[in-house]
Amino acid sequence: MSTLPHILRRTRRSLLENAYLNSVAAAIIGAALLMMGVYLTVQVNLNALVSTWNSDVHVSAYFAPEVPESRRFLLRDELAKDPQVAQVRYVSEAEAAAWLSSQVEEVAPVLAELGPGVLPASLEVTLRSAEMSEAELNTWAAGIQSAELPEVDYGQEWIDRFNSFLSMLKALGAGLGVLILVAALFVVTNTIYLIVYNRRDELEIQKLVGATHGYIVAPFLFEGVVQGLVGAAGAMGGLWALHQILFTRLAAQFQMGAGAELLFLPPEMLATLALVGVLLGVGAALVAVQRFWAQAA
Amino acid sequence: MIRLYHVSKRYGDQSALNDVNLHVAKGEFVYVTGPSGAGKTTLLKLLHGAIRPTSGKMLVGGIDIAKMGSAELYQLRRNMGIIFQDFKLIPRRTVAENIGLALEVIGTPREQIGRRVAAVLSIVGLRGRQDELPLTLSGGEQQRVAVARAIVNDPSIVLADEPTGNLDGAMAIEVMEILQAINLRGTTVLVATHDAGLMQRFPFRVLRFRAGRLSEGGP
Repeated sequence: MSTLPHILRRTRRSLLENAYLNSVAAAIIGAALLMMGVYLTVQVNLNALVSTWNSDVHVSAYFAPEVPESRRFLLRDELAKDPQVAQVRYVSEAEAAAWLSSQVEEVAPVLAELGPGVLPASLEVTLRSAEMSEAELNTWAAGIQSAELPEVDYGQEWIDRFNSFLSMLKALGAGLGVLILVAALFVVTNTIYLIVYNRRDELEIQKLVGATHGYIVAPFLFEGVVQGLVGAAGAMGGLWALHQILFTRLAAQFQMGAGAELLFLPPEMLATLALVGVLLGVGAALVAVQRFWAQAA
Repeated sequence: MIRLYHVSKRYGDQSALNDVNLHVAKGEFVYVTGPSGAGKTTLLKLLHGAIRPTSGKMLVGGIDIAKMGSAELYQLRRNMGIIFQDFKLIPRRTVAENIGLALEVIGTPREQIGRRVAAVLSIVGLRGRQDELPLTLSGGEQQRVAVARAIVNDPSIVLADEPTGNLDGAMAIEVMEILQAINLRGTTVLVATHDAGLMQRFPFRVLRFRAGRLSEGGP
């Protein structure tokens, strides 16, 4: 003989009889997961952005003015032989000035007045290796630096700063995530406690007629699972809507600025969110039932 | 069936039961009586494990229930029917659902529950009332539903705490007749009551308590 069919029937019944309180619990779980989902989406996109920068590293190596052009071509050809280098392009002083003038119109008259040679000639290097670590990149850049190429710029300082910012954001997100989960657990526990309290007479009688502790608690745990799944589904729906409505408006801007695609959460993260929702519902149910028994004893 | 050896129960400094020894044989019908505060309800609560004795040994069906862990109490209660003065029915559940609860917790299939519920409803004289809600029934009918719930899984012991306390004379007699019928089928019945009229009308052994001590009818 199995008690499972009875437990499932009682779960269904309790879900219907306490539809309002169950909806409140699911909504709170959903709100907590939505907040976490928004944070994770931002995090995923920032990570992708950094990853794009790191996988497509451009280095500008600036020539000292006294280096003759023939020597510059020689250095370009030598650099092209480096297995790490995908492409090298020589940019003369005139080309640099022309490029800057085309980008910032106001600068064009100033550059014209100052004459040629204001901006240094450079080698624009695209590196082949997407797997290059920060340290390897630093070493490589230091290796090409010389009296002829005194300044090598690859925006690493900016990437480092952004990485630090991301680390800080992750720590902040983890802290806020824990706070949100604890707050949600507290509110959901109190909501489920009301459901347990509504059924206190039934629970007392179940004990008197020989129900095991597991039999009495199980329906609340199943309710917690349902609340968690409904909350997670709501959060994912909300997240998707936000992604579509709000983020896609910014997508073009993001793509233009950084070359990164605007991403939604990957399936494994969505599954994790659902799992967190279920754990939240089940955990809150456990705490609520234990609290009820402790007070009833 | 039930044996108590030097059982005492204290609540702080207050003694609710004091050195009680008693023996109730299998299939016996026994009254537990005495004035308010004498220890009748305490004795019944001890017997169904709602509270634990401060000292002493309590054998029910050969098992020392004083040593039973709270997680094992369900085994004791599945072999015991309990009836209360206030019926303890779930108002949102139908008569059939209230009675079937005792079978649901042991995993009895639904069809079987339906058959057993119908059978006990016949015994307590409520045939055809299975779909009604408890609050639509009279006090006597509600108590008969509680009796039906207590006997639906064929327990070897039925404990009744003032089962007629909320009922008028005729209804009280109906309930007592049902308990007597259950006893005639071999079930041990303990009824806590202070209704002398009922005890005269349905004469069985009387365990009389006074200030927590068994003063008459033991062991």
